[in-house]
Amino acid sequence: MKTSLPRRAGFLVLLVCIAIPVLFPFFWMLSSSFKTQVDIVSWPPKLLFSPILGNYVKVFAEQNFLKYFVNSSVIGVTAVVLSLLLGLPAAYSIARFQQKRLSVFILVARLMPGISFLMPWYIIFSRLKLMDSYVALILSHMLIALPIVVWIMSSYFETVPVEMEESAMVDGATRQRAFLSIILPVSGPGIVTSITLSFIFSWNNFMFSQVLSMERTKTLPIAVYNFVSYAEVDWGAVMAAAVAIMAPAILLTMIFQKYVVKGLTMGAVKG
Amino acid sequence: MKVKVFAVLLALILILGAGAQAKEIRVLLANHPYGELLRAAIPEYEKATGVKVNVESLQESQLTTKLTTEFATNSSSADVFMTRPLQEGKMFYKNGWYEPLTAYDFSDYPESAMGVARFGAKPYLVPLVTEWQVLYYRKDLFRKAGLSVPKTFAELEAAAKALDSHEVAGFASRGRGAAAVTQVSSYIYNYGGAYLDKGKAVFDSKEALDAIRFYGKLLALHGPKGVTSMSWENIMPLFQAGKVAMWTDASVFYGQIVDPAKSQVAAADVGIANLPAGPKASNPFYVVSWGMAVARQSKNKALALDFIKWATSADLAKKGLIANITMARNSAWADPEVRAKANAELVASQAFAAKNGNPFDRPYMSAVGNARDLIGEVIIESINTAGTSQTLANLARQKVKAVNELLEDTGEFGVY
Repeated sequence: MKTSLPRRAGFLVLLVCIAIPVLFPFFWMLSSSFKTQVDIVSWPPKLLFSPILGNYVKVFAEQNFLKYFVNSSVIGVTAVVLSLLLGLPAAYSIARFQQKRLSVFILVARLMPGISFLMPWYIIFSRLKLMDSYVALILSHMLIALPIVVWIMSSYFETVPVEMEESAMVDGATRQRAFLSIILPVSGPGIVTSITLSFIFSWNNFMFSQVLSMERTKTLPIAVYNFVSYAEVDWGAVMAAAVAIMAPAILLTMIFQKYVVKGLTMGAVKG
Repeated sequence: MKVKVFAVLLALILILGAGAQAKEIRVLLANHPYGELLRAAIPEYEKATGVKVNVESLQESQLTTKLTTEFATNSSSADVFMTRPLQEGKMFYKNGWYEPLTAYDFSDYPESAMGVARFGAKPYLVPLVTEWQVLYYRKDLFRKAGLSVPKTFAELEAAAKALDSHEVAGFASRGRGAAAVTQVSSYIYNYGGAYLDKGKAVFDSKEALDAIRFYGKLLALHGPKGVTSMSWENIMPLFQAGKVAMWTDASVFYGQIVDPAKSQVAAADVGIANLPAGPKASNPFYVVSWGMAVARQSKNKALALDFIKWATSADLAKKGLIANITMARNSAWADPEVRAKANAELVASQAFAAKNGNPFDRPYMSAVGNARDLIGEVIIESINTAGTSQTLANLARQKVKAVNELLEDTGEFGVY
């Protein structure tokens, strides 16, 4: 397809206009993570500076962020896997049997402010001696992941023609079998979307970990605050930690981006 | 086979049970230089006593959230914790979360610090760190302009005007409403006013309003641009970059503005002085910013008391002060070894503030956060109009009413 030069130029200008404000904070974060405290606070801002690695040393050597990475990953991955196990069949059932009320109920759980769950959870988990355990955090993060899985997948399953599973069932497959062997294999983009989104939401979650985790299960968003002290902020280290935390999320989104868009819009137009 | 498994399980349970019986306490610290100092020293304590100390360090607002959740649900396992007396002390005390510390020797603490540690007749927390309002100034700029350090508010205004230039703001102080409340307090005291008096809000008095107007005028005419959105996080970098000639704020920032790794201004060019005197008085705030307490819900109170005695000991206070942490204990400031190492101006300003200081830098009440927001609006109005606002008195009256309602809600109105 050929487009005229002015149109392409216009598109480019528009692209730059949007990209600069969007990318500038990232640029700022990235450059600050290689600056000394003096360079970070200097005014006017220094665009040319001698980069240092000290902030990353602080993050990974002095503060042992690797441990927090492991914590966040274990909690995020397990919560997402368990949410898929429960959420996929639930979404299928909602899609095929028109259980609208059930799906609204699940959505409400997601829409309720998270803080309202925290007090009861805290009491339950501390009575069960589950404070500072992965179990408590994984369960709490499933509140984030499960509704996303159910909502994305139920509208996705609705776009999968019923005839596909019906023909399988005519050939003698059970519904479960049809779901596993016919429906799931064609739902790749939807599943990838729900995995990506729910993992990122879990990865970024602050509130649940703040109350339910202690030193042993501390997650990344909480650990960033290790660099915020009373009347003192170590900006360089905060920036370096932020870069380190965002990297996996950005990577994940970049790899699966085309599925995410597809998966989210799949259920958008249905006849 | 089954018997064997059973025996192993039983042994495991016994071992775990024995483990649980070992002496162990849980301590929650803030991300604070003193918290770090304690963390480093705790292994020695563990070795000497055989008590295992489980330490957690949290950013201050996270610490408050965590403690509040744990105590409110009555399921806390915390034994000892760091606490901010002015911010949460009253609420924690009223909710019965502090264990009274009757077996602790408080004779080494200044009386003004004990004011916030005691409720009724009993002390409930140990003052750890104090801070007071000071004037930071650039010695080199003062020399160049041929000025001497201001001793009164009139001199402060004159100096701000003289030092103000295109490059450098003559004067800076917090302008962001709620955050500014603590810094405005000393100005109000020096004008002879107060936020609260006998359990009632009184910041609509002529004295208080004059102080707020003066503060607004100074910042509007000689402050950095956009000061109404600035707290210490924004002003300190400006000072460190050499863009501010005078800055009034808490003494806690001294270490960071003379640290060559953080500041572009040479340490020799940074001065620290008493906050200038006002028309009526010279009573800068001198507050306990951090204290330490034993949890009422603690199941190991004897161990907790032993730990808090060690963690707030005179010996550690001395170490803290040498590391530029402004400790509450008198003995630390009197120690000749400390005095030899510490900055003479800092020591002098501490002596002045400890003697003349006001123990509160904010309205001392349970709903302090809400009250700060309300007072902050008055301060911002004053800055926006360079202190000339016609409606300021009216606005202050409205806010006084609102703060009094907050006091009534918690049963603190008229109680003192």
